[in-house]
Amino acid sequence: MNAAIIGQMAISGALMGLVYALIAYGFQLTYATSKSINFGQGELVMLSAFFSLTLTNLGLTHWGLGLSYALMIPGGLLFGALMGLVVERAGVRLALEQKSEGWILLTIIIGLFFFSAAENIWGRDDRPFPTPISADPIHVLGVDVTRLELSVAVGVFAIMGLIELFKRRTLLGKAFEAVAADRDAAELMGISATRTVMLSYGLSGAVAALAGILVSPITTVGPTMASALILKAFSVAVVAGLDSGFGVVLVGMFLGVLESLASYYVGSGWREAPGLILLILALALRPTGVFGKATIRKV
Amino acid sequence: MRRLLFLRGAELLAFAVLGAIPLLVLNEYALGLLTLLSIYGILLIGLDVTVGYLGQVNLAQIAFLGLGGYAAGLVITRLGMGMGPALLAATALCLVLGGLLALPALRLEGPQFALATLSFAALSATALNELESLTGGAQGLSIAQPPIFGHILTKPQFYWLCLAFLALVWMLMRNLLASQWGRAFEALRDSPIATDAMGVGTYRHKVAAFALGSGLGGLAGGLYALNLGYLQPQSFGYEQMITLLLGVVLGGRKSLWGALVGASVIVLLPNLLSKHDLFLAFSGLGCAMALAAGLRGLVKKTTRPFQALAPVVAMGILVVGGFFVPNTEDWRKAIFALMLFSVVVGLPEGLMGFLTGFLAKLFRVPEAPLPEPSDLNSVLPTHPADGSPLLVLDHLKRYFGGVKAVDDLSMTVCSGSIHGLIGPNGSGKSTVVNVISGLYTPSGGRVLLHGQELPQGSLFRVARAGVARTFQNLQLFGELTALENVMVALKDVYRSPLPLVLLGLARPEERRAQADALALLELIGLKDQARAKAKDLTYGAQRFLEIARALARKPDLLILDEPAAGLAHPDVLQQIEIIKRVHQRGITIILIEHHMDVVSELCDAVTVLDGGKVIAEGTPDEVKRHPKVVEAYLGQPPETDSATPHTDGGAAPLPA
Repeated sequence: MNAAIIGQMAISGALMGLVYALIAYGFQLTYATSKSINFGQGELVMLSAFFSLTLTNLGLTHWGLGLSYALMIPGGLLFGALMGLVVERAGVRLALEQKSEGWILLTIIIGLFFFSAAENIWGRDDRPFPTPISADPIHVLGVDVTRLELSVAVGVFAIMGLIELFKRRTLLGKAFEAVAADRDAAELMGISATRTVMLSYGLSGAVAALAGILVSPITTVGPTMASALILKAFSVAVVAGLDSGFGVVLVGMFLGVLESLASYYVGSGWREAPGLILLILALALRPTGVFGKATIRKV
Repeated sequence: MRRLLFLRGAELLAFAVLGAIPLLVLNEYALGLLTLLSIYGILLIGLDVTVGYLGQVNLAQIAFLGLGGYAAGLVITRLGMGMGPALLAATALCLVLGGLLALPALRLEGPQFALATLSFAALSATALNELESLTGGAQGLSIAQPPIFGHILTKPQFYWLCLAFLALVWMLMRNLLASQWGRAFEALRDSPIATDAMGVGTYRHKVAAFALGSGLGGLAGGLYALNLGYLQPQSFGYEQMITLLLGVVLGGRKSLWGALVGASVIVLLPNLLSKHDLFLAFSGLGCAMALAAGLRGLVKKTTRPFQALAPVVAMGILVVGGFFVPNTEDWRKAIFALMLFSVVVGLPEGLMGFLTGFLAKLFRVPEAPLPEPSDLNSVLPTHPADGSPLLVLDHLKRYFGGVKAVDDLSMTVCSGSIHGLIGPNGSGKSTVVNVISGLYTPSGGRVLLHGQELPQGSLFRVARAGVARTFQNLQLFGELTALENVMVALKDVYRSPLPLVLLGLARPEERRAQADALALLELIGLKDQARAKAKDLTYGAQRFLEIARALARKPDLLILDEPAAGLAHPDVLQQIEIIKRVHQRGITIILIEHHMDVVSELCDAVTVLDGGKVIAEGTPDEVKRHPKVVEAYLGQPPETDSATPHTDGGAAPLPA
């Protein structure tokens, strides 16, 4: 087993891991404001990818591939944000008002509905996603990387950077942070927690949509495209802790490398296993996550 | 007695009807459905233990169905053994795996628990697919039903076997859930901290509950494999899991009947979807019901607009969609989703929850009468109090990062006394209590009870050592009745081993527990509200109930964390009376309190804390005049103390 192959696998694994990190980041956004996550986030990724595919194909009849791809991105993100708002309104708000954990079940249910809708609107088959970014390998330090794979890294860091900037530099972003820090105190300061939770679900939906747009040219678009992705994103979010944006990137890349090596050594059917085992172990040893803050129980 | 007859009668009747059907109707198809009904019934009863009683979203049950099925299948095909060992292996494997999964999942709540179970389900699906040499992978595994006593069971006979298992599981679970085990499961859901602090070990109960539910899943899996004769990993996926949740939620949580109703829904659903007219009729009916219930809720203002309207919209989509979609089978998942959504939002108690209330009104079956309260002397024997040191804090420290919440604190509590612990907000009183009772591990120092060191950092072990406490922010088991709240904590009553409990032979003990708990409720003046749910009691009554529950531990030391906080004046007087009565029984009490009049009236000795340190000790009168105490509370030089009515930082006023 030579080092070049290991390096190759590690790099492509890490780049894939960034997609997990991005989806996990979407969980963190909603968890920060509402202590809830969308269990149907994978369906949001898939639905947005399908929608973006349709947009691109629509554009192709009028313009070239490059322009229609570029124009599709904002449309796809907007769609994702809208779907995120739908999830918040239908599945999360009532449960949060009742301080119950009903949102777990409700977001699963809404995800199932989205899945069925996609299956019937776009069909059950996997489809290619056209992209103007070339998939020819380029040599970097003895390792082959495609521009397509690099575009994933660029996209992931760009949106995470933008959202972090938004949270730190704008008034709305500071309101977001305030609700995350202390919901009741923020409400007393005149910040509407409900609207902030809506904002976080919108952002989370947009993030999910971008993950779909970035990953589908590499994989394909199909109803089940996100079912494996989402499990790994869950693992990343929990292992890193639900409040560390920096942690998800590290853990995501680590998991990506781990599973690409596992599929090489143990067999491709087992590629999901490391993430799942990691998740159960992390939950057992450190429920708040490797990078999470331990909370003090108060009574 | 009438109630018991009525309930048992209904159960007997249901099982008799179910058992008699094959004798009357010779329809192979119906028989197949009934067999599945029994199997799913067992599966859902198992799932209800976690989803209903523990109140956690459990996504692993479908995996246990699969694992149990494969275990039974492999025992038959590989080892060539019969039906008995196969079912035993299926149950045992899932019992063990469930216990193992519960160990890491133990510390988790809510979303993390759901995620852990989801991962387990995905992991076992991967294993079933990939261990091809063992399971046949995606090809599936064929199982021929082995003969039992030399002959192969006919279809009706196999159905009766499944039904008998369902009846057995039903009976055992009914006994278990009505015992202290069932109460502990529910207590765990409402407040894990209080469950531990009452000496009821969250640990073993959570593991036991989860393992039990998983074991039942395994048994159902074994029967499933024998019934179908063919297993495929795809049969145990995410979508099937959702169906199971639909069954439990639609049927009604925390109800054996609910599990049976849910199982029938699951079994009948595919038939409903395959016939278009039938589907339209049922969705129309569902929509009408949702509309009626929603309007009623809106008019009576019992539900929020969203809760009333969302199910109507969801069912409306179902009806409208039904007209446009030629093949409902294609939209199966969306239909499940819409139905489940309507139920979760509009009928959170499920069909049985709804029907129980309705039936109770219709038949007015009286509750079984409660026994006479036991003699208080037998429940709470008087302690001899000799004034010797009972609890000693020896240079106790507890830091949170750089904050020294308790800073080198030493104090002694004498046996038989009421020892007040006062101080301004943030002075470390609650931290001291939390360290003594085991919620926090001390950063340094020792806590001695009867001269022996108390266990550190475990609420459960401290509670077992003879310390009971109440909570400043109430930690009652809201869904349990006042009586059950006390019964959960009762010490030295439940002695029967689990098998006797399962067989329903622990009834005398249960009566004794009720009588003992009633005696304690009488002591605090809540005997008449024994059957009220704790969350429905008045705020004052809830504070009293916390004390009764702590007394059920028959403690040597009782810690009361602000028992009069937020109480109206008459309730404060009653609370003082209750504490006096407890004290007369020789129980040593540590009292944290802001009401100075309460402290003055009750306490023999008072320790005043500020900044985590002791600033004064003595009788209430001595302490009140102590210059440091006055300064800590008023933040002013002692010369002006008697004239200053103001207090700082929300600290309670000291009477001048």
